[in-house]
Amino acid sequence: MISVEDIRKSFGPLEVIKGVSFNVSQGEVVCIIGPSGSGKSTILRCINGLETYNSGAITFDGIKIDPGDKSIVNVRTQLSMVFQRFNLFPHRTALENVIEGPVQVKREKKADAMERGRELLDKVGLSGKLDAYPGSLSGGQQQRVAIARALAMRPKAILFDEPTSALDPELVGEVLSVMRDLANEGMTMVVVTHEMGFAREVADRVLFLESGVIMEEGSASELLRNPKHERTKDFLHRVINPLE
Amino acid sequence: MSDYLARSAQYFPLLLEGVTLTIVVTLGSVFLSSILGLVWAIMAVSKSRILRGISRTFITIIRGIPIIVQLFYIYFVLPELGVNLTALQAGIIGLGLAYSAYQAENFRAGIEAIDKGQIEAAHSIGMTDGLIMRRVILPQAVRIVLPPFGNTIIMLLKDSSLVSTITVAELTRQGQLIASSTFDNMTVFTLVALMYLAMAVPLTFLTRHLEKRYATS
Repeated sequence: MISVEDIRKSFGPLEVIKGVSFNVSQGEVVCIIGPSGSGKSTILRCINGLETYNSGAITFDGIKIDPGDKSIVNVRTQLSMVFQRFNLFPHRTALENVIEGPVQVKREKKADAMERGRELLDKVGLSGKLDAYPGSLSGGQQQRVAIARALAMRPKAILFDEPTSALDPELVGEVLSVMRDLANEGMTMVVVTHEMGFAREVADRVLFLESGVIMEEGSASELLRNPKHERTKDFLHRVINPLE
Repeated sequence: MSDYLARSAQYFPLLLEGVTLTIVVTLGSVFLSSILGLVWAIMAVSKSRILRGISRTFITIIRGIPIIVQLFYIYFVLPELGVNLTALQAGIIGLGLAYSAYQAENFRAGIEAIDKGQIEAAHSIGMTDGLIMRRVILPQAVRIVLPPFGNTIIMLLKDSSLVSTITVAELTRQGQLIASSTFDNMTVFTLVALMYLAMAVPLTFLTRHLEKRYATS
């Protein structure tokens, strides 16, 4: 469904992605792990057309991702994204945030969109917060609204860019459990994360990215339990035992 | 004192005619400068280098020339180029153009204050640039821009007196005319000053109210 082929990306003289290729099939959950600055988020942003890439090709359902082309709007309505800092619209309520895309972009009837918006907010456990503004919600609640907003577009896949990194530790669980439910329902997901527990339990496949290349990839159990590459071992060791 | 009041009462209707024109000039130029200012501001934040350049050049020129000279130019020079405007039209266009440069800076600051993450999120649900401007940026920018906008209106109200120099019979001009025929400068210009205050003070309170209201949210 998503195909990334040998993409390269530089910010000025600094090459941050040095030839990365992978595919994501329908219904698959792929986690991308790796140290900060390894290019994980940049890859995700390239897939959604928020960032241009210098060479290689990314396609979604056979459509080439080109941020400069009108086709990107069509792609984005089918490929949602959830951000580290939630990025809700602060001047709109939870429900208004969720229906914004369906009503304004997909031209759905407002009544239908609101009906479905309520269902989605109920699904992420926020049926009591329909009319709350983002400023009055906790980080975990805001991120769940953002997930509902992503789902409202009826996407074929969702990209998650470190969705729990900006959250207080006690709020991480509520977001991860919503994501696990989505995975169990068969949603195609690409998740950049530092949550190894989530990766182990939910991911079908894990990519370990360092310095702009995929150092190692494999099934979640295989890569996380028996990493082959020294770098992967080292990274996992540091994440799991931060004080050693 | 009663003499003073009697003379005031005599001048009052004439000065009120001036007030009407002052309000017309102020409202007209607030409207024009807001529309144009928004255009310059949107051009200033656009992706096109040409549009940004046009906007910056215009603002630099306008801000570098005294408003009174701009008014003279529009009223006295444009007719030589075949553009004939009434004094009132020239006044509104002149003040509107001059103030559009200041308004543009206000609006630009408001637009740029919106967090980039929200704009990315809007892109990620398929919103186009125009839709993002209308649905995400402007509704929030308005709140940020309102208090300085109030100040701009007050400044415009006072600067509307500049159009007296191109024969628009607004408040200041009416005052001058009465004073020069009666030599009663004290009465006339006291009344003129009080009438400006009567218009400006409510606006000042409104602006303070807006500042308080939007300072917290």
